Amino acid sequence: MRFLRRALQQSLANILRNKSVNFLCLGIIAFTLLVPGIFGFVSYHLDRYIGRLSENIEAIFYLREGVDEAGVEALLRRVQGSLLVRETGFTSRERARAGFAREFPELEYILAEFPESPFPASVHARFRPDAGGIVAIESFIQDIRRSPLVESVQLNMDWARKIATIKRVAAFAGMFLSAILLVVSAFIIFNVVKLNIFYRREEITILRLVGATGAYIKVPFLLEGLILGSLGGLLACGLLLLAVRAFPLYAPAIHQVLRQMIDFRVLPPRLFRELIATGAGIGLVASFVSLRRFIKHTPG
Amino acid sequence: MIQFFHVYKQYFRSNEALSDINLSIERGEFIFLTGASGAGKSTLLKLIYKEEEPTKGQILIDSVNSTLIPPGRLHKLRRQIGIVFQDFKLLMNRSVQENVAVPLLVRGERRAAVENKVNSTLALVGLSHRKRYLTSHISGGEQQRVAIARAVIGNPKILIADEPTGNLDTELSIEIIRIFEKINASGITVIIATHDLNLINLFPKRIIKLDKGQLVLDRPGEAG
Repeated sequence: MRFLRRALQQSLANILRNKSVNFLCLGIIAFTLLVPGIFGFVSYHLDRYIGRLSENIEAIFYLREGVDEAGVEALLRRVQGSLLVRETGFTSRERARAGFAREFPELEYILAEFPESPFPASVHARFRPDAGGIVAIESFIQDIRRSPLVESVQLNMDWARKIATIKRVAAFAGMFLSAILLVVSAFIIFNVVKLNIFYRREEITILRLVGATGAYIKVPFLLEGLILGSLGGLLACGLLLLAVRAFPLYAPAIHQVLRQMIDFRVLPPRLFRELIATGAGIGLVASFVSLRRFIKHTPG
Repeated sequence: MIQFFHVYKQYFRSNEALSDINLSIERGEFIFLTGASGAGKSTLLKLIYKEEEPTKGQILIDSVNSTLIPPGRLHKLRRQIGIVFQDFKLLMNRSVQENVAVPLLVRGERRAAVENKVNSTLALVGLSHRKRYLTSHISGGEQQRVAIARAVIGNPKILIADEPTGNLDTELSIEIIRIFEKINASGITVIIATHDLNLINLFPKRIIKLDKGQLVLDRPGEAG
C-alpha cells in the first residue's frame, strides 16, 4: 500500500514537473478519444432508432391453400415461441375478406363475384424493440418462409434495412478512424513516457545503484501513463458532453434532420465508462512499451 | 568478504581494462585502491557493485558469485554496498535530507524511521545544519558529505568511494577520509579509489595498486 502511494505521488510529481508536455499530451489524447466518442454516441442512437423501427416492422406470412387448423396452430406456436416476436395473430380467409370489405367499401362489388374469399389466410408478427437488430429479424423471417405451410411473405422493413446499412457503414468508418486515432494517442503517451525517462535518467541510475527494485522504478512510469490516459478519457467525456449539448444550438438545421434518429438529450453513461477505460488502457500499454524499450538504456 | 579470481575485463574493441586480477578483501578492511588514470580503478569498483560484468573470472561477495546474480535480484547486492561517486550523483533539485533518504525509501521504510536515520547520519558527516538546503545550494565539500551520508545510511557491509576527494582541497580531503575512518570503525569495509599519493601516505591503510589493468602492488596496512 505504501509502495503504491509512493508510486502514485511520484507519478503525479512527474506529471506536474513536465506540465507543458503532459498537458499538451492530455489535450491531444482527449481530442483523439473524442472521435470514437462521437461515433459511439451516433451508433448508440442509431441502434435505438433501429430498435424503435423494428417495433413497427410487421411480417405477414400468407399460407398455402388447404392448410388445416393443426397446421395453423403449429405455425402460430412457432412464431409466438420466438423471443424476437412481440405480438402475433391469425387472419382466416373470411376475416381477410371482411377486412377488405371494411376498408374498401367502394370495391365490395368485386368481392360479390367470388363465392369464396379470394384472399389467403395469414399469420402476422410484430417485433420487439430490443429484437436484436434487423439481421436477427430477417433471419427469423427467412426461417419461417421456408415452412411448407407458407406461400409468401409481405414485409415492411426497407427503411429499417437502410438505417441498419447506414449504421453499419458508420460503425465501420468510426472503428477505422478511431483505430488510427487511438494509435496516435498511444504513440503520444509512448513518447511522453520516453521523454520523462530521458529527463529522469540520472535519478533512475541513482535509484538502481542504491538498490531500488525494478518495480520501484517502473511503476511510477506505468501509473503516469495510466493517469494521463484516464484523464484524457475524462476530458474527452467532457468535450463530448459539450459537443452534444452545443450541436442543436449551433447547427439547428442539421439538428432538425437528425433529431428523429438522434436524441441529443440522451448520453449513455456506458459511453463515458468506455472512453475512460480506453484512455486508461492505451496509457498503460503505451507506457509499458515505452518502459520496456527505453529504461534498459539508462545506465546502472 | 570480497574475492576476485582471475578477473578480466575488456571493453568493446579496446585493450583490457583489467587483466588477471586476484585479490581478497576481508570484512572491516580499509583499502586505498590507487593507480594512474586509466589504470582500471573505477572498472574494478564497478565490477564489485555489478555495474559492469567481468569478461572472464569470478567475483565472490560474501561467498556469492556476483556474476550469477540475475537482474531481478541485483537490488539485494546493491543494498549491501554503499557507493560514493566522483561526480556525487546527487539529485540537485532535491534537499539534502531527501537525497540522503533515498536508499531507505527504496526499501519501503517508514517515514518516521527514515527521518530519524537521516538525522543521525547527517550528524555523522557534520551536515545537520544543511538538511533542508537544496543540494545545488551547498558547496562541493558538503555535496561530497551528502553523497557519503547517502552511501552509509542503509547500513551497508561495503562502502565504495571512487575518487571521493578528487574535487576537494587537501584539508577537506583529509576531513573526508576521517569520516570514512569513522565509518570503517563501525565494521564497514571501505574501499577508496584515489590517485592522491599524498593523501594515501597520511593514512597507513592497505594499498592496492593497479597499472594498465594489472595488480602491481598489494601492501598491507599498518596496525593501529
